[in-house]
Amino acid sequence: MTIDRIADKVAAGGRIDAGEALALYRCAPTPTLGRLADAIRARRHPGGIVTYIIDRNVNYTNVCVAKCSFCAFYRPVGSAEGYVLGFDEIFRKIDETIAVGGGQLLLQGGHNPDLPLEWYEDLFRAVKARYPSFRLHALSPPEVIHLSRLTQKPIGEVLDRLIAAGLDSVPGGGAEILVDRVRRALHCYGKATSAEWLDVMRHAHRAGLRTTATMMYGTVETGEERIEHLMRLRALQDETAGFTAFIAWSYQPEHTELAGSEATAVDYLRTLATARIVLDNFESLQASWVTQGGKVGQLSLGYGANDMGSVMLEENVVRAAGAAYCMDEMEIVRNIEDAGFIAKRRNMHYEILGDPIFRDREIPRMLALSTSRTGGGGSSPEELRMYSARSLAGKRDRRQD
Amino acid sequence: MPVSEAELASLASTRDIIHLGLIADDLRRQRHGLRTTFVRVADVPAVSVEPPVLPPAAGEIRICGVPATLAQAVSRVAQVVAAAAGAPVSGFSLADLEALAGAERAPLRTILEELHAAGLELIAEAPFDRLQDARRAVEEVNIAGLALARLTLQQLESTFAVALYQAVAALQRDVAVVRAFAPLPRLLNPAVPTTGYDDVRRVALARLVVDNVPSIQVDWSRYGPKLAQVALTVGADDVDAVSAIDDAPEGRRRAPLEEIRRNIVAAGQSPIERDGRFEPR
Ligand code: SF4
Repeated sequence: MTIDRIADKVAAGGRIDAGEALALYRCAPTPTLGRLADAIRARRHPGGIVTYIIDRNVNYTNVCVAKCSFCAFYRPVGSAEGYVLGFDEIFRKIDETIAVGGGQLLLQGGHNPDLPLEWYEDLFRAVKARYPSFRLHALSPPEVIHLSRLTQKPIGEVLDRLIAAGLDSVPGGGAEILVDRVRRALHCYGKATSAEWLDVMRHAHRAGLRTTATMMYGTVETGEERIEHLMRLRALQDETAGFTAFIAWSYQPEHTELAGSEATAVDYLRTLATARIVLDNFESLQASWVTQGGKVGQLSLGYGANDMGSVMLEENVVRAAGAAYCMDEMEIVRNIEDAGFIAKRRNMHYEILGDPIFRDREIPRMLALSTSRTGGGGSSPEELRMYSARSLAGKRDRRQD
Repeated sequence: MPVSEAELASLASTRDIIHLGLIADDLRRQRHGLRTTFVRVADVPAVSVEPPVLPPAAGEIRICGVPATLAQAVSRVAQVVAAAAGAPVSGFSLADLEALAGAERAPLRTILEELHAAGLELIAEAPFDRLQDARRAVEEVNIAGLALARLTLQQLESTFAVALYQAVAALQRDVAVVRAFAPLPRLLNPAVPTTGYDDVRRVALARLVVDNVPSIQVDWSRYGPKLAQVALTVGADDVDAVSAIDDAPEGRRRAPLEEIRRNIVAAGQSPIERDGRFEPR
C-alpha cells in the first residue's frame, strides 16, 4: 500500500498493521506523520487540554545486579558509590513534593539483592500511614520480577502483597524494546524477557492497577523491532485496557557501557507520531522533555503528545547518562500555553485535578532537578539492619555474616 | 515574497507549526534542494596576546569578543591570520566596530580597511538590531573589501519578528551582499528561554520573508543539535558554529563532524561541509 493510502486509512480512523506502520515510520514525510498524529490527538482530546503531573522521580537504590549495558545509573553490589535511601529521606522527599503541590512519588530503583520484599512492604505502609492520600507509582515490571525471584513467590502474589502494602500503580519502565533479540544484545533479557515484562503488566491490570508503558529506543533495534514493540503493547491493551499512557524516550549514551550516539530530535518526533498512530487504544502519549529538552518536548505536542509528563523535581537515571534538562511547573505550563493548549494538572489516572498550582500560590522556581544524593556518596541507612541481606557485602555491612 | 501580506499575518501567529513548516520547507527545497551546508568554526578570543592554537579541521577561524583599540584588533588579526594556514579568518561584530570607530574618532571604513589589510576576510556578524546605520555599515564592509559572514539579530521579541524580517529583506534589497541570515536571537535568557514553537515559527517565517538572502542559518552550538536539526526541516539550510575540535574520547560516532552529518541525514537532507567563504570543502 502506498504512503498516501495508509495515511488515508489512518485519517479515516482505521487500524494499521505492522507493515503499514513500518512504511509510515520509514517513508512518510515528517510533516505527514505529524499531521496524522495530531489529528488523532485532537480526536481523543478535543478540548485542547494538555496535562502534566507534579510528582517526584525517586530512585530508592542504585545498587543493581542486572547490569544493563545501556545504564549509567547502577552501581554493583559492594560499590562504595552504592546507596539505599532511608525511610526518613524518602519522607523528606515526600514533604518537599507536597510543598510544591505534588501528590505522588514515582519510585523505582536497582535490583538490590539486599532489599527483601518486607523492606518494600514496610516502606509502602509507612508512607501510607504518614501520608494517607499520597500515591505510590512504584516498581517497574523488572523490579517486580526481581522480587519474585528473590522471594521465590509468583508474580501475582508479590503484586498482591505490594498492593496490600500501598502500591497504587505501576510505572512502565524497563520495557526498553520488547523484542528478545534486542534485550539479549542490551544485557537486559535476564532481568525480564519481553513476555515476562508484559506478563507483570497483565497481572497488574487484572489486579485492578493502572500502569504506563514505555519504550527506550535508539540502541540496537531495527525499525521493524520498534514497530513490533508498539504492536505488543497494543495487543495487551486490547486485552486488558490497563495502560493509561505511553512514553517513548531516546537512549542516553553518556557514561554507559554500550556508548554510541543518541537518536536525533527528528527521529524522536517521527517515533512519537508513529506511536500515536499505532497505539490507537491508548488514551494518552507523554512528551519526554527530560530526554529531548523543553523545546522538542513542546514540539511533541504537535506530533501526537497530549501530556507534558511530570514536574519531576528529581531525576537520577537519565541525568547519569548525560541529559540534564529541567522544567518546573511554571515552565511546563508556559510551554503548553505557548503551543496553544490549556494546561491542567492531573493524577496518575489522568484525571484532571485542576489548574496550575503556581497561579493559586507562590511556588519557588526550580532551575535544576535534585538528585537522590547531592553528594553522590554511598550509604546504608540504619534501619536496613532489620532486614536480611543476600549478598556477602550486604551481610558484612549489616554484620549478619 | 512567496506569500501575501494577509497570509503572512495569519502565519505569524499560527500554532499550526506543521503547516507553516511545510510552506517554509517547500521554499527551502526550491532554492537548495536537499543540500544542507555546515561550517566548522574555531573561536579565538579577540583580547589575548597568546598565539592561537588552531584545529586543522576548522573551515573558519573566528575572532570573538570586543577589541579595546583598533591597534589591538589589527595586531590580533595579523597574529591569527599567521596561524590560520590559509583558512578564512572572520572576526568581530559589526556593531562593536561601529562603536570602536566612534571611540577612535575614525570612520568605520578606515577601521574595516585596516582590519582587511591585516588579513581579515570576513566580519563575523552584523547584528541588525544593534547597528546604528545598518545599510551604511554593511556597504562599508563591502567597500573595504571584506565579506559579511552572517547577518544576525541580537534580541527578538516574537511579536516583532515579521517586522524585523521585513526590514532585513529591505536591507538586502539595498545592499545585496548578505549571504546568510541567522533569525534566532543571539542573546538567550536562561530564565525564560524561547520555546520550540517560537523558534520553529521564527525560522520558518524568516525563510518566507527574507527570501532574497540565500541561506537561513541556525547556530549549532548556541541552539543545540536538537533544535538545530528541527530548524533544518522548517526552512533553515545552513548550520553555523559546529565545533572544529574533532577529538572523540567516546568513539568516532560522537565526534562533532559525525554528529552534524548524522543529524542532517536523519532530517532527510544531504550534508555538505563548507568553509567560511561558503565554498565546499
Ligand atoms: S536499567 Fe535498571 S535494571 Fe538495568 S542496570 Fe540500570 S538500574 Fe539495573
